[in-house]
Amino acid sequence: MTSTDDLIHSLASTAGTRQRGASLQAAIAVTGAASLACALLLVFSVFGIRQDFADMAVRMPFAFKVAYSGALVAGASVVALYAATPGASATALYALSPAVLLLACGVIFDPTGFPIMGRTDTAVAICVGRILFLSLPAMMLTFVFMRRSAPTQPLFAGAVVGMLSGSVGALAYALACRNDGTAFVAIWYAAACAIMAAVGAIVGHRVLRW
Amino acid sequence: MTVEEREQRWAEAMRAERRGEAVAYERMLKEVATALRRSLAPRLVRVGFGAHETEDLVQEILIGLHGKRHTWDPARPFLPWLHTITRYKLIDFMRHRRRDTRRRVDLPLDDWLEMVDPPADEAIRSTWEMDRHLAVLPVSQRKLVRAIAVEGASVRSVAQELATSEGVVRVTLHRAISRLLEAADATPTIKPCSRSKHDEHR
Repeated sequence: MTSTDDLIHSLASTAGTRQRGASLQAAIAVTGAASLACALLLVFSVFGIRQDFADMAVRMPFAFKVAYSGALVAGASVVALYAATPGASATALYALSPAVLLLACGVIFDPTGFPIMGRTDTAVAICVGRILFLSLPAMMLTFVFMRRSAPTQPLFAGAVVGMLSGSVGALAYALACRNDGTAFVAIWYAAACAIMAAVGAIVGHRVLRW
Repeated sequence: MTVEEREQRWAEAMRAERRGEAVAYERMLKEVATALRRSLAPRLVRVGFGAHETEDLVQEILIGLHGKRHTWDPARPFLPWLHTITRYKLIDFMRHRRRDTRRRVDLPLDDWLEMVDPPADEAIRSTWEMDRHLAVLPVSQRKLVRAIAVEGASVRSVAQELATSEGVVRVTLHRAISRLLEAADATPTIKPCSRSKHDEHR
């Protein structure tokens, strides 16, 4: 009893020391922006953007890539916020539906007719590998965010962290990706996110306890 | 206090904390601790934990609440937020305690081998084996053999101790020895030898 009262007294003595305004929404926005900046920096410095960028940027495939990975980033951010907040409503999971819808549309109504495995034999391995590489800094930053908030399901929170960082990597990689098939993009960008989610779940299970 | 009143009261105290009002915050933490103690104690008792563990868990939850208080959005209800943290800490606590218990009562392979292996030390081994051999004797003979042959007492002192004559002790001892030899499946040459010695002594 007395030790609990002592504890309460010492906790209460630090009342009001946390800065207000640093809400979780703001924190994840900053984290996302920083992650994207890191990923873009890596794209420019390591891979370089496509040579025909100006021509490509106004066409449908590029718009699809950006819309799809953008929807993934937005959806995963909302779900990450849900995973980070105790007692949040699970309706946040619906935020992923636009991305799922785009994935389905991209696979079913592929107007480009490019093969699903990409233009070359190694396209899948290269694309997925590069997205994984680009999402590494995002993963570190997002884990920092997640550790500072209060995830009550470490495994799930870790998976969401991985997914968010994977989609950030995919969004950045859209500038460099040479494969324009929407089915290719829909499937293999999602596969990269899934791999990152699995990694994140394993890491999160260990790292996200508090 | 109804749930709505409690929600309002504690949410207001949490807002007060952000303004730096330590007194209101401290009062709320005490109320939370009391409520937690009351609801968690029976739950923990049911799985074999006492008041001490309950207090540990309550402190864990209070520390968690305090450390993560910035994740509560004042625009949203406080009780669901606290409930999720309490649940998380309760599950975490149970998992840890179970692991602790397993470690404390665990039987590692080394200990197990020690248990099933006869003692390695020579002296201990010989008494251990002797006890095994003496087990074939009736209790009275066993006591006597141990006193004379193992502990080295004299026939007289044993007779005094057992309140009988030295002759009875001698006879009993010899009977015990021949029985032991039989049990040890000694070769026939040894048996007559001991018999004859025994006869000579007479």
